[in-house]
Amino acid sequence: MTTMHRRRVLKGMMGGAAVTVGLPILDCLLNESGTAFAATGKELPTRFVTWFWGLGLGEQNWVPKETGAKYELPPQLQSLKPIQHKLNLFSGGQVFLDGQANNTHFTGVQGHMTGKVASAAEYFGSVDTLIGDVIGKGTRFRSLEVSCDGDPKACWSARMDSGKLSAEVSPLALYTRIFGPEFKDPNAAEFVPDPAVMVRRSALSAVSEERKDLMQNLGAADKAKLDNYFTALRSLEQKLDIQLQKPEPLPACSKPKAPDEEKEVSTLAVDAMARHNLFAQLIAHALACGQTRVANLSITQGMSGLRKEGEPSNHHTYTHEEPIDPVLGYQPKAAWFQMLYMKGLYDFAMAMDGIQEGDKTLLDRSILYAYTDHGAPRLHSVRNYPFVLLGSANGRMKTGLHVADPGGAATRVGFTAMQAMGVPLNSWGVNSNHVSSPLSDVLV
Amino acid sequence: MKTLNRVTLKRALAVGISLAGIAAGYQVFAADEAKPAATEQPTSLRISPSQYRQSITDIFGSSIAITGRFEPETRDEGLMAVGARTANVSDSGLERYDDLARGIALQVVDERHRATLISCKPANAKAADEACARKFITETGRLLYRRPLKEDEIQNQIKVAGDSADKVHDFYAGLSTSLSTMLVSPNFLFRYKVVEADPAHAGQKRMDSLTKAHQLSFLLWNAGPDDKLIEAAVKGELQNKAGLQRQVDRMVSSPRLEAGVRAFFSDMLTFSDFEVMSKDPAFFPRYTLKVKDESQEQTLRTIVDHVVKRQGDYRDLFTTRNTFLTRSLAALYDVPLVETTDNGQPMHWQPYTYGENDPRAGILAQASFVALHSPAGRTSPTGRGKALREAILCQMVPPPPGNVDFKFVQDTTNPVYKTTRDRLTAHRSEAMCAGCHKITDPIGLALENFDSSGGFRTTENGVQIDTTGDLSGVKFDGPIGLSKAIHDDPATVACVAKRAFAFGAGRSPTTNSDDWKQIERGFKDSNYNFVTLLRQIALSDMFYAVPTQTVAAK
Amino acid sequence: MNLAKLLTRTALVAVPLCLSSAPSMAETRGYVIGWFSTATYNDFHANCPQDKNGGGLKLKYRNLMEIGYSEAEAKSIVDKSVVNLGDDINKRINTRARVNGKPANVANYPEAVADPNIETVSGRYAFGFNLGGKNASNKFEDPDSHDKIDNQLWRAVGCTESFRATPPEQPYPEELSWATLVDSAPGWSIMVSGDNLDKDGPVTITLDRLLQHVERDANGKVMWYATYVVDPSPRSHNVFKGKIEDGWMTIDEGSNLFMLAEHPFYLDIGLRNAHMRLRNEADGRLTGYWGGYTDWQKFAYMYTSRPANGADYIGLYHSLKKMADADPDPKTGQNREISATFRMEGMPAYLASLDGKIVATPVRDKQPSTVAAK
Repeated sequence: MTTMHRRRVLKGMMGGAAVTVGLPILDCLLNESGTAFAATGKELPTRFVTWFWGLGLGEQNWVPKETGAKYELPPQLQSLKPIQHKLNLFSGGQVFLDGQANNTHFTGVQGHMTGKVASAAEYFGSVDTLIGDVIGKGTRFRSLEVSCDGDPKACWSARMDSGKLSAEVSPLALYTRIFGPEFKDPNAAEFVPDPAVMVRRSALSAVSEERKDLMQNLGAADKAKLDNYFTALRSLEQKLDIQLQKPEPLPACSKPKAPDEEKEVSTLAVDAMARHNLFAQLIAHALACGQTRVANLSITQGMSGLRKEGEPSNHHTYTHEEPIDPVLGYQPKAAWFQMLYMKGLYDFAMAMDGIQEGDKTLLDRSILYAYTDHGAPRLHSVRNYPFVLLGSANGRMKTGLHVADPGGAATRVGFTAMQAMGVPLNSWGVNSNHVSSPLSDVLV
Repeated sequence: MKTLNRVTLKRALAVGISLAGIAAGYQVFAADEAKPAATEQPTSLRISPSQYRQSITDIFGSSIAITGRFEPETRDEGLMAVGARTANVSDSGLERYDDLARGIALQVVDERHRATLISCKPANAKAADEACARKFITETGRLLYRRPLKEDEIQNQIKVAGDSADKVHDFYAGLSTSLSTMLVSPNFLFRYKVVEADPAHAGQKRMDSLTKAHQLSFLLWNAGPDDKLIEAAVKGELQNKAGLQRQVDRMVSSPRLEAGVRAFFSDMLTFSDFEVMSKDPAFFPRYTLKVKDESQEQTLRTIVDHVVKRQGDYRDLFTTRNTFLTRSLAALYDVPLVETTDNGQPMHWQPYTYGENDPRAGILAQASFVALHSPAGRTSPTGRGKALREAILCQMVPPPPGNVDFKFVQDTTNPVYKTTRDRLTAHRSEAMCAGCHKITDPIGLALENFDSSGGFRTTENGVQIDTTGDLSGVKFDGPIGLSKAIHDDPATVACVAKRAFAFGAGRSPTTNSDDWKQIERGFKDSNYNFVTLLRQIALSDMFYAVPTQTVAAK
Repeated sequence: MNLAKLLTRTALVAVPLCLSSAPSMAETRGYVIGWFSTATYNDFHANCPQDKNGGGLKLKYRNLMEIGYSEAEAKSIVDKSVVNLGDDINKRINTRARVNGKPANVANYPEAVADPNIETVSGRYAFGFNLGGKNASNKFEDPDSHDKIDNQLWRAVGCTESFRATPPEQPYPEELSWATLVDSAPGWSIMVSGDNLDKDGPVTITLDRLLQHVERDANGKVMWYATYVVDPSPRSHNVFKGKIEDGWMTIDEGSNLFMLAEHPFYLDIGLRNAHMRLRNEADGRLTGYWGGYTDWQKFAYMYTSRPANGADYIGLYHSLKKMADADPDPKTGQNREISATFRMEGMPAYLASLDGKIVATPVRDKQPSTVAAK
């Protein structure tokens, strides 16, 4: 009878009417240690941000000799040194072509971001969307996409069903989209529960109703097992109940300053990075305000057309034409761009690290997933990919490590991030890019 | 017995008794006699990921994608299928089952599948339809719960489907809600053993007919019973010999038997360990990720061909020169494999027969064994020997003590100890290690011709490899000799029989019973035909014996 | 019957390890070609003292000046633009060829564009063979054999930035094409037969195209010991008599070589008066050079058909044409062939014929796969 009662209540709610939940909003938002919401004990949310830069890091020289915690950051990553303890560097992974041609600037990313190397027409289900399906439910935006070089096609995020998403290129437009008139303060009192969640919640009660029947003929040990099951069921129901309640207020949320009007989009790398830093602030605030839990940033498309002031050739041209300096072991002019981008990565990380949420920063509760389209830039190779992952995913990822996986599948990095983000997959990828074990060194 | 001996070992260490003394007298012993336990054992079994997948494929067809993560499995008495007895469903596990269930249910009702998978049409697709919902729930629920649904269960699900359909104005969405609910139900996720009064023996219990049906189908097909088997069970046919035999005969001649045989050997040969196994590509460039997957498939194909298609002698699996290869595997093994299909086609599996003088024969020489039981950059005769004892012969090898010094074993560039045998000999000279290594190393060293990836070699660090060894007093030289010794060892056939029984029953058999001896005899009389063994088990009384809730400690 | 049909009808054939065709020679080693490109001799400062050609930047200046801008204007335009010069200017550059007075695409009509006179190699060394060229001023010295050799192809292309490559690097455009195609285009095989291939004596070298593409290993390199089936078409089937002397394998003079390839990684390799110099490496690879006279227009087409990649393709076209040193056209007198040399590596492989017979086996026990110091 109690179950009937609960279902009737839910059915009453299923009209979808606004429900005002009488929680004292300003009272004690977090528990004492600041690790979770006080009201529910629920962990503060985990976020995922991808960050793309084109054309890799260098030939082989960027791979530190040591693995584990005691390693030297390579020259290209020196700007990240102050937060080396908050990042992991991955090296050695490759994308397997399995008989497909290497369509440069595309196939490699297609491989490690979607797990599948196929024709250029197929680009579905990138890592961020698989993660977004798990962590991103119930937020205002499923995800935010931005690109810093003025090219809306530069984004690598693609859902399973709809292909690549188009990116916002203007910081002001992004600001308006998030923090304009439609922005709702997370502390506002009104809330409309999701009918689809109500249906699921209600259906689970049907399983509970099987309990009595099942218990009838069981011995004590089997009864204990079944009790475990129903405890799990109860916690699943609670999870849905929470989704049917007004979300927790977000004390770290504040509205950022609106960016200035845009000047004309130029192709100077420093201008793109200035735009990048505006995006970094907006995205960090959008994450802190619960507007989304997933964001994707691209500096440029893979074939970076950015240039250094006074030098007419662009980054992409340098990777093709510039000889490898025999002493340095890399292309010095191309490296100038790599270092500039990595300074940007540091700035992005600091924008997130500067927002304190209880005992952790926003960065600590996230993974900032930096990736690129090629291994060795000159060859546009699909081997030895650098990945830089910052943040510890709410404590699920260890940081400060260099993880080498020479010859392994680059998809392991994405798979590892998905594991840390709680994506329920026990393997990922197709053919030789199929992986079933994460890089467990970094998983807690 | 297992636990007791471990405790004894630890205690011996703690009080400083010379371990050499204990270890010297330490004999290999059978590892998985029914486990003595002071507390009650559960009898229900959580269905495994492969059983879940196979069931969905059997019920809804192979075009339903099952993408998601399962709860981890645990191995007990050599099998995940026995570990399933103590496997629970955790909070996060149930969330995963819930995600899987919703993913499957949405596909079953989508426009591509509904015409074939839902045998009725609603009067109005935008509203609840009790008649059609009842038909689908009754038919599908019967296969998922492995029994006809009771009327109140049907009513309950019709209500779930109806409420949901009304809410979102979609009959099929309602049906999918109901289906996903059944897919997370303990009735689907667990196999319960239901007992009833035994009319033939007053005061005793027996397994009910439907429980017998699923025990049988999980043994032979690695999935739940089909409609015919449920029907036979409902009619009580499985409670008499003739009826049971009819079903068993039908089932062993079904193509589904192959799935059952594959699942059993994947479990027995511990293929789940491939998930955490890798090789150093600097040393083993031909061991690609593709080869890793293909090496498991090679062994399963060899087994299915030998024991199902040819109905050969189980023992010959260890000596057969017949196998299947792809071009990538052939390159790993350094043998030619001609494929004349056009460029750009995927590689094909081809039957391959090793020559008379080839050092490779049988499944132990395949990468699925020698590579699986080796570390990333070197071989481990101890690891291979231990795996052979435990997985193939059902014997237990004690774990090394915690304070053991591995300095000799791991130093592959040691200028004095150039071969693995040299290094192990140095290691064994330490008294505390000698006893256990005596059990594993003499058989593992015979496989030293196979490097860590499964490639063939005759030298190590420029020194000729010595592959002599012995198994239970039988001396041999090299992998072929070892294969013959395994072939002839009575433990080999005894082991597979016990494992096959346990795979279906979720517990090891009591081997000192007359029933068991009869199964063993039948296996022998059939020239160790594995399908006959399955049939014998499926027809035996002991397979359906009501498991005792408590087992007295010995 | 076409090949595809023949192949689908042919059953899969598996054979035990044996040489069933019983060749007359005592040993036949098989290789799949896992590296191939123009033979570079990378000493840029000695080769190209003027350092005149530059990369894409100087090319932009040159192109802009050619369509009428002053040097200062060209510099200003380039400075303002980055990704490219803009559709309008690009169009003017790309259609600056004039055919019957009308604008035409420069890549299609490189002949109809002025020769930019790029710098050509003036150094002393290049890899190659003495093909009997009569012009002493054309001769280079081979750094290995110290012979006076003919390699006008290298002279024509060697001062282009992207040809500054030392093996294992290939010239950039070739490396990119190779990397793009190696996983899908049919491979090439090389088969060496002789009484004892570790000693001096006569040998037979056979080149063929394969039915399968090259397989890659876990490091992305060419896999050893894989089996390939030789394409039965006679078109790319080449048999050369030769010898091993002091460890060098050479072929008798007077033969031609033809191997069909896959655009854009060469249309084909056709060599008249073919020469070879090969050697067994200690690790089991077969490495060395192929040389002879080749059709310069086909080589130029690799660049004009796929512009960019940092090469001045119009400049390359004209310098190849000017450096061509054989087979004069009877009407115009323009040489149609150019002396050329290519470098290659073969990786040990099994080779089989279409009927399933193994015709060559890999050299044994060379690839280290035993012990890891871990």
